[in-house]
Amino acid sequence: MAWWIALFQPLLALLLAPLLVGFIAWLKAGAQQRRGAPPWQPYLDLRKLLAKEAVVSRHASWLLRTTPGLVFAATVAAAALVPAIAVGLPSDNLGDLLALVSLLLLATFFLALAGLDPGSAFGGMGSSREMTIASLAEPTLLMAIFSLSLGAGTTHLGRIAEAALIGGIGLHPSAILAFVAMFIAMLAENARLPVDNPSTHLELTMIHEAMILEYSGRHLALVEWAAWTRLYLFLAMLANLFFPWGIAQTLAPLALIGAAAALLAKLALLALVVAALETKVAKLRLFRVPELLSVSFILAFLAVAASYF
Amino acid sequence: MNPAIVYLVELGSGAILVTALAVIWRHSLQAYIGAFRLQSFLLGAVAALLSQLQGSLELLGVALLIALVKGWFIPRFLRRLLARVGSGREVRPYLNVAASLLICGALVVVAYSATADLVAASRLPTRNGVPLALAVVLIGFFVLISRRQAITQVIGFLVLENGIAMLALMVSYGLPLMVELGVFLDVLIALWIMQVVVYRIRDTFDTLDVTRLKGLRH
Repeated sequence: MAWWIALFQPLLALLLAPLLVGFIAWLKAGAQQRRGAPPWQPYLDLRKLLAKEAVVSRHASWLLRTTPGLVFAATVAAAALVPAIAVGLPSDNLGDLLALVSLLLLATFFLALAGLDPGSAFGGMGSSREMTIASLAEPTLLMAIFSLSLGAGTTHLGRIAEAALIGGIGLHPSAILAFVAMFIAMLAENARLPVDNPSTHLELTMIHEAMILEYSGRHLALVEWAAWTRLYLFLAMLANLFFPWGIAQTLAPLALIGAAAALLAKLALLALVVAALETKVAKLRLFRVPELLSVSFILAFLAVAASYF
Repeated sequence: MNPAIVYLVELGSGAILVTALAVIWRHSLQAYIGAFRLQSFLLGAVAALLSQLQGSLELLGVALLIALVKGWFIPRFLRRLLARVGSGREVRPYLNVAASLLICGALVVVAYSATADLVAASRLPTRNGVPLALAVVLIGFFVLISRRQAITQVIGFLVLENGIAMLALMVSYGLPLMVELGVFLDVLIALWIMQVVVYRIRDTFDTLDVTRLKGLRH
């Protein structure tokens, strides 16, 4: 039974991720007085893209063809490590925080490499920018979760959430520093607004979109799906590591249903925050992005330092 | 001792530190004022929570005063000042943002290590907020010495003052209402004097860059 739940969690990530992205876009449209696409639009996009053939440039190597599958697989594997609805699952033993960050970075790495592969100008520019941002955001992510694992005494994400649940509401006050740090890292890693604009293809500013310009059809579908799942993973981590209330500690059906409802509520709340933020702020100039990321890094560092004292 | 209230107080203290750091990394004076206002409201909220913990009405009065004077009146006052002297950005601070942040990170660590013994020996439920309060004080000092613009220095002074008020709250559940009233009066008068000084600097030098004060006008 526990293994079934552990298998169900990545599946849930894949199923919920398009809805989450569509929901954020829908909220943003509402906040900006536009009608906007319905929240389930990403599912329709996926169906459309999966039905189309993939066109690959003559100059591209095997790298461009294998990257979509690799990115997708790495993201799904990462999804198995993030506690979504239950803790104390056997999948905790599969890997810890470092494995999760490596998997996410593996996906980023191959995406950037494949961006360089067809030799288009935009792909190379996107890859270079993505690497700049990833090199600053990944340590922040690592540090932010480290500050939690210092309190919990383990680096396994499921056990961090479990420790926080058992300890009542006793998160260290430094958790708020880590939360802000991780939120900024989430925005940077997922090409959200102050760092990158997820809704345009404007040549000079795009980062993530520039890397994936060369993909089409089912390749594009996999890459997009992986990117959405990544956003889901970050939001699920923010929700479940910092506010673990509602996660099922037993595998009773009622507890699991309650946990799923709690997860949906927390994700909806975070989506609301992201949508409100993206409506309010403008995109930062590229050269000011490292400043923002150094803020988040300092916050994460302080969170770690504070949990030592 | 209600653990939920203690937890919220600690969370609020962490948030106050984040708003102090916001003053370091933002560039526009509007954003500084916004950060200060948020910080004051958070401080008021922390004081209100502590008054629940203590069951003291006096502290609730202090909380309301903090929210009213520092959260509403002073930001309004500063916005007016800004509208009149019309300078939107902090130009050329002595240090760039990344270096300032690193120094502030070090200051927070210093605050933690300086208060480590105090926190370990204390039995106060609010002891975990003490290093954060000291960190806010130090960051306020740092803003004061690292910025050129007169208005930013005023903000640094106010952050420093918030840090001291927070330290008083964390160490001894705040000062008696009479003392707090005196402090508020002092802050308001200091702000008033600073306003006059800012106008004078502006009129005499056509800039708010205080480093220019070293040179002669002509």
